[in-house]
Amino acid sequence: MIGLTNVEKYYGDYHALRGITANIPEGEFFSLLGPSGCGKTTLLRAIAGFEHLSGGSLTIDGQDMSRIAPHRRPTNMVFQSYAIFPHLSVAENVGFGLRKRKDINRDARQRMVDEALDMVGLSGYGSRRAHALSGGQRQRVALARALILKPKVLLLDEPLSALDKKMREQMQAELRRLQRQIGITFVLVTHDQEEALIMSDRIAVMFDGQIAQMDAPQTLYRRPSTRRVAEFIGVMNFLPAARVGDEMFDVAGLGKAFIDRSQVMNGAGTDCVAGLRPETLSILFDGSDVPDHSFEGTITDRAYYGDMTYYDVVITPGTAPVTISMKNRAGRPILEPNTKATVAWDPRSLIIFGA
Amino acid sequence: MKGGWLRIYAIVYLIFLYLPVALLPIFAFNDGTIIAFPLQGFTAKWFLELAAIQALHSALWNSLFIALVTATLSTLLAIGAARASTRYKFPGKAPIMGAIMLPLVLPEIIVAVALLVVLLQLGIGLTSWTVIAGHTLICTPFAIAILSSSFQGLDASVEEAAIDLGETRWGAFRTITLPLVAPGIISAFLIAFTISLDEFIIAFFLTGAEPTLPVYLWSQLRFPTRIPAVMALGTLLLLASLIILSIAEYARRRGIARTGGKDSGGFL
Repeated sequence: MIGLTNVEKYYGDYHALRGITANIPEGEFFSLLGPSGCGKTTLLRAIAGFEHLSGGSLTIDGQDMSRIAPHRRPTNMVFQSYAIFPHLSVAENVGFGLRKRKDINRDARQRMVDEALDMVGLSGYGSRRAHALSGGQRQRVALARALILKPKVLLLDEPLSALDKKMREQMQAELRRLQRQIGITFVLVTHDQEEALIMSDRIAVMFDGQIAQMDAPQTLYRRPSTRRVAEFIGVMNFLPAARVGDEMFDVAGLGKAFIDRSQVMNGAGTDCVAGLRPETLSILFDGSDVPDHSFEGTITDRAYYGDMTYYDVVITPGTAPVTISMKNRAGRPILEPNTKATVAWDPRSLIIFGA
Repeated sequence: MKGGWLRIYAIVYLIFLYLPVALLPIFAFNDGTIIAFPLQGFTAKWFLELAAIQALHSALWNSLFIALVTATLSTLLAIGAARASTRYKFPGKAPIMGAIMLPLVLPEIIVAVALLVVLLQLGIGLTSWTVIAGHTLICTPFAIAILSSSFQGLDASVEEAAIDLGETRWGAFRTITLPLVAPGIISAFLIAFTISLDEFIIAFFLTGAEPTLPVYLWSQLRFPTRIPAVMALGTLLLLASLIILSIAEYARRRGIARTGGKDSGGFL
């Protein structure tokens, strides 16, 4: 559907995109995730046609886009600021792109506008002035305005960043539902890892103009290919480790364990780093059996989140603590700092990175 | 009293600023040729006298023509400059914009003499068009200042959104950008019009056989009997300026209200 091959972009001396290669199939919800300045928005704008490529090629539906102006591309975009036309009504905004279509008469246009407004839950808002809408409503108008043209690809530039938390969560679910319903390709730009995990079929994590890893959310979370990706997505504890056998590793504070090859990332030599997610560690409360893999530590800090409690546990005095997240189940105490704790861990959830 | 001295200062300041102007209509309706108190009685005859002076009429039409052409040229030039300065990055932008805005603070007499010298050297005769050239030079910065704030208040992505929805670059500018900055354009046009209409120094230096209204006014001051009529004319000009500037400000504020933006100033 969208084919990116060795895409390069320079702004003067600044190298914004470095050899981006990716294939986005039809109907996929694809996210570009990365910190600000990583090139994700530049890449999205290049697909829309607002940025010329300095090198490489871009095809949409097999057609080369290098000589296609933005207004002729089969893409439509939802802008970060929504870019609602403030002097037009909601219906005029939504129907804007249809004005150029000579094959659609006024009645048909009216019907399509009504359908589009209905789709985003704004039935009856057509005659309102656009600037009198709330943030969430503007978002929906921008969405209806882009989708009414039935693009092959919908591009979304941080569409939810201006909304409050509740509204954002609601729109995330709604966007996902809408994408499944109409079945076109969505390309979303976001810096919010949680948003990317929730919504996407596949995520490309970008740093410094390059794609660091491109995978499904679960793979990305459970098998991040580098420490940087692991740190950017969720929380991960890092402990120094050493390879002591073919598949045997000695992890500082945890001891020796057999680690499957699939958990060892490229670049891991004799000296390496072991990564553990906070939820794969668990504090053993009184009365539990001590499993094969466990360690003793001291709680130095805790943060209570309501549904969860995060503990910082120091294994060896003088080293950095590891973070452990525990569900707050009924009858389970909230431990205080300076308490000793026994922590269970599972070699199957450990990842080995290069040092 | 809190801020007592500041309040007195403000009142004195306003009196100083507007008392001379207020004298204009007072003596325009005074039944006597000598500009002095006590007033002699109420009359409207000076206004009637204005209607009879042929030279005044041609000066008025000349001024209106110059102001209209100047305002049109300045506004067109300012739309391009304001858009370029707010939307694009280009090398030498700061010095270029500085040079364009400089006539705002340059002494007008210097501009006038310089233009006169250049025109004489080039062998171009002095006509209404030379006044228009001079006026466009000094009116354009004002128009740019007004239009820059209009363009600045505009979200850059609305034009891109229009292109994304199938408009060409020009189509997006015409259907989205122009309507959104239209109040700014009207405001800029009217202010340029007023400045040109009232301008004296450049018109005095660059005018040919047909004087503008301010130049004609100045020439009449040599005749004491004409002074009350000049006062009457001044009163009318004052009124016209106030009305035009009010419309300009109204247009600017309505534009901001229509797009739901925030008022970031303006000249009034």
